[in-house]
Amino acid sequence: MKAEVRVLYFGAAQEATGKSEETIMAADTASLRNQLISRYPALKQIPFRMALNRTLLKGDSGLQKSDTIAIMPPFQGG
Amino acid sequence: MKNSCLIKGPITPVLISELMASGNDDAGAGAVSIFIGRVRDDETDGKRVTAIEYSAYEEMAVKEVEEVITTVRSAFSDVRSVFIVHSLGVVMAGEASLFIMVTSGHRDHATRACRHTLEMVKERLPVWKKELY
Repeated sequence: MKAEVRVLYFGAAQEATGKSEETIMAADTASLRNQLISRYPALKQIPFRMALNRTLLKGDSGLQKSDTIAIMPPFQGG
Repeated sequence: MKNSCLIKGPITPVLISELMASGNDDAGAGAVSIFIGRVRDDETDGKRVTAIEYSAYEEMAVKEVEEVITTVRSAFSDVRSVFIVHSLGVVMAGEASLFIMVTSGHRDHATRACRHTLEMVKERLPVWKKELY
């Protein structure tokens, strides 16, 4: 079942989408990823990872209402 | 002991000296190892970097810093404190944007844990940069 989740964009993903955040309906992270890439083709060039509620995802995960997903290009701190 | 934060702007010499002094009350810490990262004036396509603008997923970065500190402290038994400070916003070339300090009883764990902390910060901190020319 699809849930409305908060999606945050960081770094180059912010430039690729022109947004810092929005809400999107998705059932899981795999379908969210596909949805984002078709909505924002420039995201395809960015090897982004996702964090679910501030924790980096290692695989795919289901989504629940009010989850927060962060779209994170490779880290560049330091 | 937890000592970590994200600060707006550069890590100034005054802040660095304050951070260094904050470990002074622990007389059992015979070794202090410090890493300072500065913005480099790299040249790309004939343009020279004058500053870097840092952004972060702050809520996650704070959590990751705490986890890095916990990991380092459990991996190096002689470590007594770990400080991690990272800049956000604009930092000019030549200014410091990262400060790591590890105190321990003796030199071996201080130097190794400082390096280990640095590598974990690079790998785990959700921070991004934009070069300004």
